[in-house]
Amino acid sequence: MGEAKVPSRTADLLETILGVAALVGGLTALWLAFVHAPVEASMGLIQRTLYLHVPAAATAFLGFATVFVASCMFLRTGRVWWDHLAAAAAELGVLFSTVVLVSGPLWAKPIWGTYWRWEPRLTAMLILCATYAAYLMLRHYGGRTDGCQRAAAVFGIFAFANIPAVYFSARLWAASQQLHPQHVQLEPRMRLALGVSTVASALLFVCLLDIGVRLQQLADRVAGLEESADTAEALEGAATDAI
Amino acid sequence: MKGWWSCMLAVLERDLRAECRAKERLGPMAFFLASTLLVFCFSLGPSVAGLDGAGAGVLWSSFVLASVLGLNRSFAEERENACLDALLLAPADRGAVFTGKMLANFAALACIQAAALPAFAVLFNLDLGRVWLRLLGVFLLGGAALSAVGTLFAALSSSLRLRETLLPVLLLPVAVPVLIAATDATSVVLTGGQLGDCVSCLAVLAVAWLVFYTLAIMLIDRVLEE
Repeated sequence: MGEAKVPSRTADLLETILGVAALVGGLTALWLAFVHAPVEASMGLIQRTLYLHVPAAATAFLGFATVFVASCMFLRTGRVWWDHLAAAAAELGVLFSTVVLVSGPLWAKPIWGTYWRWEPRLTAMLILCATYAAYLMLRHYGGRTDGCQRAAAVFGIFAFANIPAVYFSARLWAASQQLHPQHVQLEPRMRLALGVSTVASALLFVCLLDIGVRLQQLADRVAGLEESADTAEALEGAATDAI
Repeated sequence: MKGWWSCMLAVLERDLRAECRAKERLGPMAFFLASTLLVFCFSLGPSVAGLDGAGAGVLWSSFVLASVLGLNRSFAEERENACLDALLLAPADRGAVFTGKMLANFAALACIQAAALPAFAVLFNLDLGRVWLRLLGVFLLGGAALSAVGTLFAALSSSLRLRETLLPVLLLPVAVPVLIAATDATSVVLTGGQLGDCVSCLAVLAVAWLVFYTLAIMLIDRVLEE
């Protein structure tokens, strides 16, 4: 387990700036999505879930890619910071893919007529969400050891390398169910709202990632302190016995 | 290179010999496979139409579940007598050790698959007379991909706290593409298709095996670190 540092003032400042940027971005995205962008002609209001659904999907992939890069870097350098980054990114990947899996069916109910269809992209996202949830299980139940950190890193690399196979096999499996809108031409105001939402979602991701890494570091410190407290208690007990 | 081969063959031979003597993998795997087949049959109901359509899926789900049992033993037996430490101390390439263990797991899975086929044919009213060779090809390819990722995950989870619980938790989601492709290919073959009709499924299996094996060889040094 590595040394956890007390966050410096620059880190605090950075966190504040990131938080404010994410907040401003989020509010702007909401205004663009709900006020500025026009109502879609055939689908109506429900089409506005697009401004949540698509950015969340992109951000989930950002999370998965971050897990991959951080896992590679952890195995290369052995620096605990990369391990913390991978853990925080995996949590966010699962969070954002859950947003995709919830917002998709909400949109699908009036448009496709059912909440869930075994549609290739939805299926693939479900498999990925389950894979990264398994990653979190590994971290949670694997024990706080170096072996667990390395195992998590290796699993993170496998999970990412598996993404093309997941997409391809989901397409093979449910080819007849292809229902996602293909090659959509968006109206300029809609495109702006989607673009800003995506950026805002990425900002939120970075902001939460930063907090997540800090939480991991604090958890590490707590574990370290508990360990040394146990050792101190044992020593004290031994000393009392000796006396 | 010669050292690599002899090391790989030594690990493989030792695993196979231990298996032939103790049958700690094959026995439980075979029984578990039979039970899962029955569980699936009972849960799907006795109507012949429903069962026939589900045949390939039932078969591969049972293979994946049964393989977990064998994979768990694969590294547990190394841990129990601190064999793994000795293996790691030996001046052997860990990729060769991994490959040996992977082939042993693959052999165990292949035995189980071969043994399950007659029972499956009877339960699901199949005439395997003309398709068994094609079916074997699909089984071997799917089994290879499954053993590559499974053996690595077995090695990886063997150092964890809840190792036997975590192996299926980790393996099942990652094995989904293999499961899908193998099931698809099997049902094509069972309905009288040629291997050429399911070439994209076979390609998924081959690519999955290649990717899993390459990654495993690249990463095994970090997995088997004490």
